[in-house]
Amino acid sequence: MEAKIVEPKAPTTSSLFLDFWKTFSSNRVAVVGLVMLIVIILVAIFAEQLARYDITTSADITSKDIYQPPSEEHWFGTDDAGKDVYSNFVFGARVSLTVGFFAAFISIFVGGLMGIVAGFYGGRVENFLMRLTDIMLVIPDLPLLIVIVAMTRPSLMNIIFVIGLLGWTTTSRIVRSQTLAVKSRKFVLRARAIGAGNMHIIRHHILPLVLPLLVVNAILVISLAILNESTLAFLGLSDPTRLSWGQMLNFAFGRGAMSAGAWWALVVPGLGIVWVVLALTLLGHGLEQVLNPRLEFHHLMPGRPVVQREAGNVHSFAEEIHPVLLEVQDLSIHYVTEDQPPARAVENVSFTLHEGELLGLVGESGCGKTTLMLGLLRLLPAAGQIVGGQVDFMGKDITAMSEQELLDVRWNGISIIFQGAMNALNPVRTVGDQIKEAIVKHVALLPGDKVDERVVELLDLVGIAADHKDHYPHQYSGGMRQRAMIAMALACNPQVVIADEPTTALDVMIQAQILELLDELRKKLGLSIIFVTHDLGVVAEMCDSVLVMYGGVMAEYSDVDTIYNSAQHPYTQELLKAFPDLSKPEKRLASIPGYPPRLDNLPTGCRFAPRCPRAIERCHTEVPDLHILDKNHVASCHLVEA
Amino acid sequence: MKRQQYLIRKISWAFFTIIFVLILNFFLFRILPGDPARSGIHDPRLKKEAVEAIRVRYGLDKPVINCIAKINPVEFGGCLINPMDTQFFIYVGNLLKGEMGISYHTNRPVSEILVERIWNTILLIGAGQILAIIFGVIFGIFAAWKARTTIDYVALLSSLLAWSLPTFWLGIILLFWGSNHGLPIGGKATPGMSSMPWEDQWIDIFRHMLLPTLTYTIVFMGEYMLIMRSSLLDVLSEDYILTAKAKGLSTFQILKDHALKNAMLPLVTIIAINLGFTVAGALQIETVFSWPGLGYTIFESVNRRDFPVLQGTFLLIAVSVILANLIVDLTYSYLDPRVQAES
Repeated sequence: MEAKIVEPKAPTTSSLFLDFWKTFSSNRVAVVGLVMLIVIILVAIFAEQLARYDITTSADITSKDIYQPPSEEHWFGTDDAGKDVYSNFVFGARVSLTVGFFAAFISIFVGGLMGIVAGFYGGRVENFLMRLTDIMLVIPDLPLLIVIVAMTRPSLMNIIFVIGLLGWTTTSRIVRSQTLAVKSRKFVLRARAIGAGNMHIIRHHILPLVLPLLVVNAILVISLAILNESTLAFLGLSDPTRLSWGQMLNFAFGRGAMSAGAWWALVVPGLGIVWVVLALTLLGHGLEQVLNPRLEFHHLMPGRPVVQREAGNVHSFAEEIHPVLLEVQDLSIHYVTEDQPPARAVENVSFTLHEGELLGLVGESGCGKTTLMLGLLRLLPAAGQIVGGQVDFMGKDITAMSEQELLDVRWNGISIIFQGAMNALNPVRTVGDQIKEAIVKHVALLPGDKVDERVVELLDLVGIAADHKDHYPHQYSGGMRQRAMIAMALACNPQVVIADEPTTALDVMIQAQILELLDELRKKLGLSIIFVTHDLGVVAEMCDSVLVMYGGVMAEYSDVDTIYNSAQHPYTQELLKAFPDLSKPEKRLASIPGYPPRLDNLPTGCRFAPRCPRAIERCHTEVPDLHILDKNHVASCHLVEA
Repeated sequence: MKRQQYLIRKISWAFFTIIFVLILNFFLFRILPGDPARSGIHDPRLKKEAVEAIRVRYGLDKPVINCIAKINPVEFGGCLINPMDTQFFIYVGNLLKGEMGISYHTNRPVSEILVERIWNTILLIGAGQILAIIFGVIFGIFAAWKARTTIDYVALLSSLLAWSLPTFWLGIILLFWGSNHGLPIGGKATPGMSSMPWEDQWIDIFRHMLLPTLTYTIVFMGEYMLIMRSSLLDVLSEDYILTAKAKGLSTFQILKDHALKNAMLPLVTIIAINLGFTVAGALQIETVFSWPGLGYTIFESVNRRDFPVLQGTFLLIAVSVILANLIVDLTYSYLDPRVQAES
């Protein structure tokens, strides 16, 4: 087996920055925001060069100059004092940005300090600081700002300090929770164990991880500070010697621009504020997406269209005592993402499910079991696409069904018991209500009390007392939730039930109970079940036939006796070795070294070849066909040939 | 049991915060340089006796609180006097009786002015908030449902833009536009309207409310939309939505029965957190449109240096926000059955 050992390279600061820049520059929203921000900062810096009039003097201004519309001499017109709005605007940028940045700096410094201290030291200090933060969060800040500024002298300094000292609450909260999260990470504990001091830990371990969040938060704080400053100035609370955009609006609004129709004096300063705040908002939104990327996928997005393709080699078993319910032929499912090769999650899988049959679907995590099951009902996530094959359910091809036909087959014909029933049940609706919903949807025209009777009957079937009907999922225990999920799956008397690892996350006793229940129900109701699991012991005990999957393809498929007694595929053999056999307690358990292949980067030959103890040269280059070994037995392996 | 504990915790927290605000409100107006004692009495033409008379009239001759005789500049002393005879406890006692002092400007009791005006603010915030929530939720649902399509991007960008608009400036622009299209330029009613039949009076108030409410809706809708969108996206990627889909429910049924209630929960929290912004927005809008509510009262009293009114209004606004917060918290506990289970 070839294995390349790659030394993990320690990331250097410059490469981290380059990586960040690469992701950042591909985010158009963030780049637009940054460019807008740089432009207005340059305007503020070079105000002297850009202004066309001296705004400090009123010489040469006559009453004719008041509220003149935009013209060659005055690009944005003139204001109530006859001054050039454009020049005022350019200098106003300087005042507004100064207040915004300095006030935000104070807020972030105070908030960051409080957050780190609270999060790092905990205990009484934290309690006190967080209580204080909570109180300050509730008190409306603009009225408080107004009261304080109104009662002190509204100089630029005062305004910066008052805005800064009242704006720290959000920062302190965010920094505290991030510090708490970082504090308990392994490397911090390790640093502490080797005797690093508090200051060292804060500077070298906590600060670097809190910083990205602080930057995003800073952007929000700056924009709030600029908005607050302009609001105060508009209300007349600003430094009379330093003209900001808000003050320009105050003068224009209070001194008759409205009645003079001087829209320019009202529009231009406002656009300045919008420009800066929008730039910051876009930048913050973009940064947030870069630092905290989020897959915006959900279950209601339109799926990809099914690709219809003739099924090729079909392996239906010759001997058929019971009628066939579900026949899957050559089903292939890919996950398609832009600019990347598709992940071939399921390829050419075929199997047959008869009435009353219990089929075990076995394989390691990530080998396409769940994808295959979701594909049967076309419930794949938006990126998943059926690229070939057929799913015949009672003589009708599900892959060719219309949306409406599909809604009828789901739950009514084939239902699913999902793994992890905690999340599979809606937390804000009662369990009974959720079972009822399925019945109402599919069983037409049942009177209300009949539905309730049926719900009680179903709950009784899985051993849940009727008075638990009106309880919420969080009031159930883990085992009860799984039972409720089973009751829900049986609500419409489906022909086929898919049980997708129904016992994961349950303790061993409850697991046994649930399995027993499933087996009992199957006998009682004559259900056909596809049982997805990685527990071969359960399969041996309950199933009629077994399909072993590896890396998205069928490895071996046969009845349960054949699989256990004469497995041909090396993967099946290795799997069997990995499970305890009670009849041979002295036998050592073996594990299969390595991991299943990544589905977007599959080996060229047999998918199991890299881990196969019996692989030959050919296995690495040539994909094995499915070989029919016996009337009830197929395996895809070069070794079984001939 | 658990819900009871939750309620008691929330209510006692609100009570504690109100006490904090009471204390803050009292000292703020005595520490800062513009306190009533000096600003009202700073006129050099006033005789010493007149100044003293004013001090007595407003109770400013009494010690601030036990052990602190004067606060700006600090003067200690008088620890042994009857607490009920200090400025602080007289202030608390008066508040309990509903007395907030007399306006410097109009000589009317502050409480009378506030009672008159609070309803106008409630009317404006109520109408704007309801519209903003309705439209925000509707657009948010669309954006989340059509995530990563053009509809989504347009909705996202316009809500970011709406967020970036200074509220008062949007008000000015709308007022400018409205005044050129025959809408009233401010106030709550046209003078002389009180002699008209009541339908006409209501239509008149409605016309005056149109633009302020529109401003409010635009400013707050964007944020509600963003929250609704991201919260619905979270909910729609939950496992129970897949269950609902597997059950054969249609997209509409899933949205209506499984997604909306769950997605609305974060919105309720945001409405509570945003109450401060709500007040700030109303304050700006009322100022631009001269809408006679609490916000406009603050603007007026700042310009007139009418400190009793400013102090009373600030207290009323802060306490209202705290109580509204409490109400939202309590509502939340009824909406989300899990709250009872939380420790």
